[in-house]
Amino acid sequence: MRSKSKTLLWQKITLHAVLTPLAIIWLFPLWVMFVFSTMPDYGIFSPDIVLIPSTNFIENFKNLQADTDFLRAMFISIAVAVIYTILSVFLTSMAGWALARYRFAGKPFVIAIILGTITLPFAVVVIPQFIMVAREFKLANTWIALIVPPLFNSLGVLFMRQSFSMMPGELFDAARVEGVKEWQIFLRVALPLARPTMAALAIILFLASWNNYLWPLLINSRPGMMTAPVALGTLIGLTKVSWGGIMAGAVLLTAPILVIFVLLQRHFIAGITAGAVK
Amino acid sequence: MAGLSLKNVTKRYGMLEVIHGANLEIADGEFVVFVGPSGCGKSTLLRMIAGLEDIVEGEIRIGGKVVNDAEPSDRGIAMVFQSYALYPHMTVGENLSFGLRMNGNPRVDTERRVRRAAEILQINELMQRRPKQLSGGQRQRVAIGRAIVREPQVFLFDEPLSNLDAELRVQMRVEISRLHKQLGTTMVYVTHDQTEAMTLADKIVVLRAGKIEQVGAPLDLYDDPANRFVAGFVGSPKMNFLETKVTSSDATGVSVSLDCEPAVRLSLPVKTPIAEGTAVTLGVRPEHFLTAGSGDADLTVHVDVAEHLGNTSYVHASTAGGEQLIIERPESRTVANRDQLTVALSARRTFLFDSQGNRLR
Amino acid sequence: MPSRNRVAYAFLAPYLLIFATFWVWPIISSFLLSFQNTRVNPWRFQPSLNWGRLVADPAFYNALYNTLIILVIQVPVMIALATVMAVLLNSPLLKARPLYRFAFFAPVVVGEVAYAAVFRLMFSADFGIINKLITSIGFAPVSWFDNATAAMILIIIAVTWRWAGYNAIIILAGLQSIPGDVYEAATLDRVSKRQQFLHITLPLLKPIILFCAVLSVIGTMQLFTEPFLITNRGGPGGGTETLGLLLYRQGFTSLNFGYASAIAYTIAALAIAISLLNLWVAREPK
Repeated sequence: MRSKSKTLLWQKITLHAVLTPLAIIWLFPLWVMFVFSTMPDYGIFSPDIVLIPSTNFIENFKNLQADTDFLRAMFISIAVAVIYTILSVFLTSMAGWALARYRFAGKPFVIAIILGTITLPFAVVVIPQFIMVAREFKLANTWIALIVPPLFNSLGVLFMRQSFSMMPGELFDAARVEGVKEWQIFLRVALPLARPTMAALAIILFLASWNNYLWPLLINSRPGMMTAPVALGTLIGLTKVSWGGIMAGAVLLTAPILVIFVLLQRHFIAGITAGAVK
Repeated sequence: MAGLSLKNVTKRYGMLEVIHGANLEIADGEFVVFVGPSGCGKSTLLRMIAGLEDIVEGEIRIGGKVVNDAEPSDRGIAMVFQSYALYPHMTVGENLSFGLRMNGNPRVDTERRVRRAAEILQINELMQRRPKQLSGGQRQRVAIGRAIVREPQVFLFDEPLSNLDAELRVQMRVEISRLHKQLGTTMVYVTHDQTEAMTLADKIVVLRAGKIEQVGAPLDLYDDPANRFVAGFVGSPKMNFLETKVTSSDATGVSVSLDCEPAVRLSLPVKTPIAEGTAVTLGVRPEHFLTAGSGDADLTVHVDVAEHLGNTSYVHASTAGGEQLIIERPESRTVANRDQLTVALSARRTFLFDSQGNRLR
Repeated sequence: MPSRNRVAYAFLAPYLLIFATFWVWPIISSFLLSFQNTRVNPWRFQPSLNWGRLVADPAFYNALYNTLIILVIQVPVMIALATVMAVLLNSPLLKARPLYRFAFFAPVVVGEVAYAAVFRLMFSADFGIINKLITSIGFAPVSWFDNATAAMILIIIAVTWRWAGYNAIIILAGLQSIPGDVYEAATLDRVSKRQQFLHITLPLLKPIILFCAVLSVIGTMQLFTEPFLITNRGGPGGGTETLGLLLYRQGFTSLNFGYASAIAYTIAALAIAISLLNLWVAREPK
C-alpha cells in the first residue's frame, strides 16, 4: 500500500498533466488573435510559425478603418449595448416584480406563455420580426431597430422574478403598512435589494447585445449603421482585405468584454448558472 | 387610541375557509394575544386587521370606523413582523423614518418622532448602523421603534419574539409589557407560545383551525378552560388526560373511575347529569398532583424518566393502562427511573371533558 | 398577497407590450406565413406550397443531415469535455485555479464574429497556423474549406471551443452545490474516489448535464454564424449548410418568407422533439 501523501502527489501530477495541455489548446485561438492583430500581413502569410506578438497593431487598425468604418461601428455597438441593457433590466425587473409579488387576473396565463416559449429558438421569429420592423414599421437601419425588438428576451423576467420572490414578503408588507406606495416599494426597497441579481443580468444582457450578430446583420446592413460584429463580418471572406486588420477588429471586439469578464467573473457566472442550478 | 371590533370575519382561499366567522371585541388600550398552534389562522387574522389580507365576509372596525376596504396605512395601525422586516440597505435611522419620508411628512416632525422612539427603546447609539450590524434583540427594538414612529392607534405584533433565543425572549417580553404600560396603546399580539400569551396579555384569544375557541383573561383560561383544547394548550407542561367511565351522577356531582385502574374513583362537583357508563376524560395539570394520601384518591404510576430541574422535578410516568403522564413534584429529588410513585388526585383541581372535548361543569 | 390587478398590470405593461409585439405575435405570424405563398403579390394562402416543397427539397435534407451530424457528434463530445473540465477544475488539488478557469471560460464571452474570423485565419489552407503545425510534424496539409468532411470537423471544433466552457461553468456550479458531507460519509464507508464519482457525482449531476444537453440541442439546431462565416456560407458546395443557414438563404437571400417560415418551424419542432426525447431517455425509472 502506497502512502497517502504519495498517492495525493500522483493525483496532483496527473490532474495538471491533463488540464495544462487542454488549457493551452483553449487559449491558443485567443493568443493567435492577439499575435496576428499585431503583425503585418506579410508576417501572417509567411511560411514560418510565428507566435510572438509584433508591433503593428495601430497600422493594422488603420487598414481595418480603411476597409470599413470600424470606429463608427464600435460606437454604435457600445451605445446599443448600454441602452439595451439599461432598458431591458428595467423592463424585466418591473415585469418580474409584478409576477413575483402580486396576485392578479391572468397571472398564470402570462407565466405559462413566458415559460412555454422561452426555449423556442430565435429562428422561429426572425422572419416575421424582420418583415414587421423593416417593411411595416420601415425602421431598418435605425437605432430603434437594433435596440427595441431584442427587448422581448424573457430571461430577465424569470431571473428577476426569482430574485424578488426569494425576498421576505414581510419587508414589503412593512412598507405597505407604513403607507409607502407600490412604485416606491419597488424603487426604494425591492430594487436596491435586487442589485446583485440586476448586475448579473445586466452583464449577460450586455454580452448578448454586444455579440449579437444575426439580427443586426439582417436589419442594419447599411454602412454607417452597422454594429461592430456586422462590420467585421462583412470583411470575412473578402479577398483584398487585411487579415491583420480583421484580427485587430476581433481584438477590439473581444478585449473589453474579456476585461469585464475577469473583473466581474462572479456576476458572469451567477448569470450563466441562474437557470440551471436551483 | 382606539378599540377594535371584529364581526363575523371570514377568510377563504378559493374553496378553503381558513377563518370561520370570527367575532371579537377589543377595548381601547387593551393588550390582546392571539394564541394557537401553527396553522390555526392567528397570523391570517392579524394580517386581515392590518389590511394585508382581503376580508371575504364580515366587518373589521378600528376606533368605530369600518376599515374593510381601507389601505393598511389608512387604518391607524403599525405592525411588527416576525422577521423584523428591516430594510437591509438602510441605516437604523433611515429605517425608522422611511415611511414618514415617503409620505411627505414634515421633516421636523419626522425627526421628533424618530428621536422619541429611539429614546423610548434606547437605541440612540444605533442610528447609523445597518440591520446586519445589529444583534437580534437590537433588530427587534428597531422594528418596534419603526412601529412607534407611526404613532398608531393599534400596534400589531406578528410573533415578534420567535427568532430570539430563550433568554432574550424573556427580556424582550418584559420590555414589550413595559412599553404597553408606558404608551397605553391597544396592542394585538400573535404568538404560538402560551407562556408569552400568559405573561403579556390582558386578554387571550385561543384559536384553533380558524375558529376562536375561547376568549378571556390569562388566569381565567388557566382556571376555567372552556374545552379540552384550551385546557391542553394553556399551561406548561401540558395538562394530562386520563380516560374514565362515569359510575354515578346526581345533582351534587359526578363520580368517575379511571379506565387504567378502575379501583381509583373520584367524585367531582359537576352539575351536568351524565349517564352511567359514559366515557369521559379527566384532565389534571402536572402541578396539581398532590402527595399521596393528601387528596381525594391515590394513583400509583410507573416512573419512566424523572427530570430534575432543581427547584422542581418533572416525572414522566405511565399508568397501568399505558397512559403517559407528566407529574410535577417540587423538591422530590429522590424519585428515580423505574420507581413506583403514588400521587393523589384532588377533585377540586381536575376537569372533566366529554368525548367531543367540551368541558363538563 | 392581496389581489391588485391595476398595479400589477402597470408594472407589466411596458414589457408585455414588447413581448407580445416582438415575440408572441411573430411566433404566431411565422406559423401563418408558412402556409402562404409569399412569392406572389399580394401573398396568397396556399397551405401545401411551402410544406410540400420542404418534404421534397434536397437542399432541406442536406441541411437537416448536416445539422443532425453536427448535433450527434458535437453535443456529446462537448458535454463530456465540459464535465471533465468541471470535475478537474473542482479538484481541491488544483494549483493556479484562476488561470485554468480563465482559459476555459474566456471563449464564452468571445463574440461569434471575432472567433469565426480567428478560426478562418487559423485553418486557412495555405497560410493557416494549423496546417503549418500539421505539416511541421510531417503530415499533409488539410484543405479545411474545400473538403466537406474537413469543413464539418472544423465547424465541430469551433463550436466545441466556443461552448464547452459555458457548459463547464454550469456543471461546475452543479458540482459545487453537492454538499461535501455526502463525500465524507462515502469516504468513511470506504467508497473509493472513482466509485464516488460514478455513484454519487454523476447521478447528482444528471439533471444539470441534461439541462446543458437541451440547451446545446436548441443552440445547434439553429447554428448559423459558424457555417456562415467560417466555412463561407455553408461551403464547400453546401457541405456545411445547416438548417439555420438554409433559413437565412431562403428568407433573406431569396426573400421567400413563407418557405423560410416553414424551415423555422421545422427547426423549432426538431429542437423541442429532440429535447423531449433527451429528457425521456434520461427520465427517472419509476
